[in-house]
Amino acid sequence: MELRDIIVLVKASLNPEIVRQNPNGSYDIEYTPLKISDIDRNALEEAVKLKSILGGKVYAISVLTWGPLKTRDKDLRLAIQEALAKVADEAYVVADDSVTPTDQVIVSNIIATLIKAKGLRPALVLAGEASIDESTSQVPARVASKLGYSYVGYVRKIIDIKNGKIIVERDLEEYTEILESPLPAVLSVTQEINEPRPPTLIQIRMASKKPVHYVSLKDLGLEFKMKRTIMDMRVLTITRKQVVIEEANVEKAVDRLLEYLEKEGVLRI
Amino acid sequence: MQNIIVVSQKPSDLGELIAIARRLGEPLILAFQESAVSINEITGYGHKVYRLNSDRPEALYYAIKSLYDSLKPKLIIGPTTKNVKDALSLFAGLYDIPLATDVSSIEDRGDEVIYKRGFLSERVIMTASVRKPAILLVKPKIVSPAEKIGKSDVIDLEVTAGDVKLLERKPKVLSGIKLEDADIVVGVGRGFKSREDLKLALELANLLGGQVGGTRPIAADYKWLPEDAWIGISGKRIAPKLYIAIGISGAPQHMSGVSDSKIIVAINKDKSAPIFKLSDYGIVNDLYKVLPILISRLKARASQK
Ligand SMILES: Cc1cc2nc3c(=O)[nH]c(=O)nc-3n(C[C@H](O)[C@H](O)[C@H](O)COP(=O)(O)OP(=O)(O)OC[C@H]3O[C@@H](n4cnc5c(N)ncnc54)[C@H](O)[C@@H]3O)c2cc1C
Ligand SMILES: Nc1ncnc2c1ncn2[C@@H]1O[C@H](COP(=O)(O)O)[C@@H](O)[C@H]1O
Repeated sequence: MELRDIIVLVKASLNPEIVRQNPNGSYDIEYTPLKISDIDRNALEEAVKLKSILGGKVYAISVLTWGPLKTRDKDLRLAIQEALAKVADEAYVVADDSVTPTDQVIVSNIIATLIKAKGLRPALVLAGEASIDESTSQVPARVASKLGYSYVGYVRKIIDIKNGKIIVERDLEEYTEILESPLPAVLSVTQEINEPRPPTLIQIRMASKKPVHYVSLKDLGLEFKMKRTIMDMRVLTITRKQVVIEEANVEKAVDRLLEYLEKEGVLRI
Repeated sequence: MQNIIVVSQKPSDLGELIAIARRLGEPLILAFQESAVSINEITGYGHKVYRLNSDRPEALYYAIKSLYDSLKPKLIIGPTTKNVKDALSLFAGLYDIPLATDVSSIEDRGDEVIYKRGFLSERVIMTASVRKPAILLVKPKIVSPAEKIGKSDVIDLEVTAGDVKLLERKPKVLSGIKLEDADIVVGVGRGFKSREDLKLALELANLLGGQVGGTRPIAADYKWLPEDAWIGISGKRIAPKLYIAIGISGAPQHMSGVSDSKIIVAINKDKSAPIFKLSDYGIVNDLYKVLPILISRLKARASQK
């Protein structure tokens, strides 16, 4: 039987644009909103294209990384809803406060176990090249390893998919490579692979009718001892002068800027 | 002493990695490179060197697995590069070994290791402890390179490259300019309407004696600049005396690459762009109005001298 389905890994990440500080200088994680990790949107967009070629179903999988679920539920749902609105037919969500904040060892174990337990047999698992909070680029490769699937990271172009094989372009620091991988494969995609379009209103409305399966660790027969303990998260305070010149007369604005730079001693002419 | 495997992708990074590893235990080097790694560059640190004649992550995965299985190291240290991240994440998944990237400090505590790493585009520093064995991929330039101290045995590794086939490799066109060495950097973003218009930024940089860099979309997506001019968390980290961000919104992933700059200037027509809160001086106006005047003022200054 030819593999036709696609799984997209979607993470509700802490938003790096909103960094609040507790009075003691530590990072105020509790009230930081979660949002879908930017590059997962590229993975969803690519799934739209691939679904039309493969003709199978698309599943979104998300594991809650930052708890507690009580305060994160709305943000998590929004991320999943975006996946459903864009392309996914169904979503699987694991949100268990006993493993938040989760580490990448546990996340990849949950994802791989879930895929096996639910009998999913995807041709492709698509993920982002890096999440916007942790940015470790390791979850997709770990999942591949656990499932025994092939893996290609940093895919900036899917060139062809047929006969149980996929040809992709991998974007590395100093060169690009054309690679051929057997299926099933896990691919992490880069931001340059496509231009994600936001879902339409109709798509968003349709999404609410699609099934979302909440799966507990108990359902999966999993129990974890955390390997990573976060001891501290400290905000790096950025102290910039923030002098904003709103002078409408451009000549005057430029002269003021040059005066400032002169005083700072950073101009050589 | 505990064995530490040091994975080296570029001989030039090896000195720093060895300096970190020596403090933690007995380093064993796994060096991988496309063409035969030049022996002189990777030997002399006084340790055993395992040499892999391939720079593909698929091969590195098998190499690290075979070394790990036979040597059972407690720590694996390497650079935070794409190939190393890919290979070691695959390997880490196999044995559920914790892995951290962009690590800026390491403290050994017996059964555990404590490290610091940038988090949320480096706006937050995370301190975490993990149980060993652990893989720590470090940031460049957190220590000074170690000196060479003695002889090394070199052992060649033979491994397969797995089931992903390499059909073609194309080198990128890079400028070769060392943006990280420039005193003044002019950064360009999507506020520029065309590649042609970047000549305004080039002229400004020339007048100031600086270099031009840009945001990820400009370099990686539009390819208006070579990729070694890409500044940010997934590109270069720079620390010039003066960084002038033009038509750049100030996304955290970009700003983390310039946060060590002495002075940051922003030119952006949108008053609410986040960049103004992350800069020392800013002009709220159209770059197409500001740059010609800035350039002519600087020309006038230059001719007065
Ligand atoms: C995991 C990850 C890693 C990333 N890594 C990087 C990285 O390393 N480096 C990086 O740069 N980005 C990176 N990004 C992308 C980053 O999030 C932003 O998308 C990007 O930096 C935005 O680039 P920009 O400022 O050029 O464009 P935009 O955000 O589109 O900003 C353009 C700005 O130009 C202004 N403008 C428009 N016209 C004019 C005009 N005529 N005059 C003056 N101003 C004008 C606008 O007001 C706007 O503020 C990464 C993203 C992710 C998710
Ligand atoms: N908790 C999670 N749930 C679902 N997918 C995830 C999760 N964490 C990471 N991923 C996927 O792995 C990619 C890389 O994440 P990271 O390894 O954290 O940089 C993300 O873009 C997601 O596609």
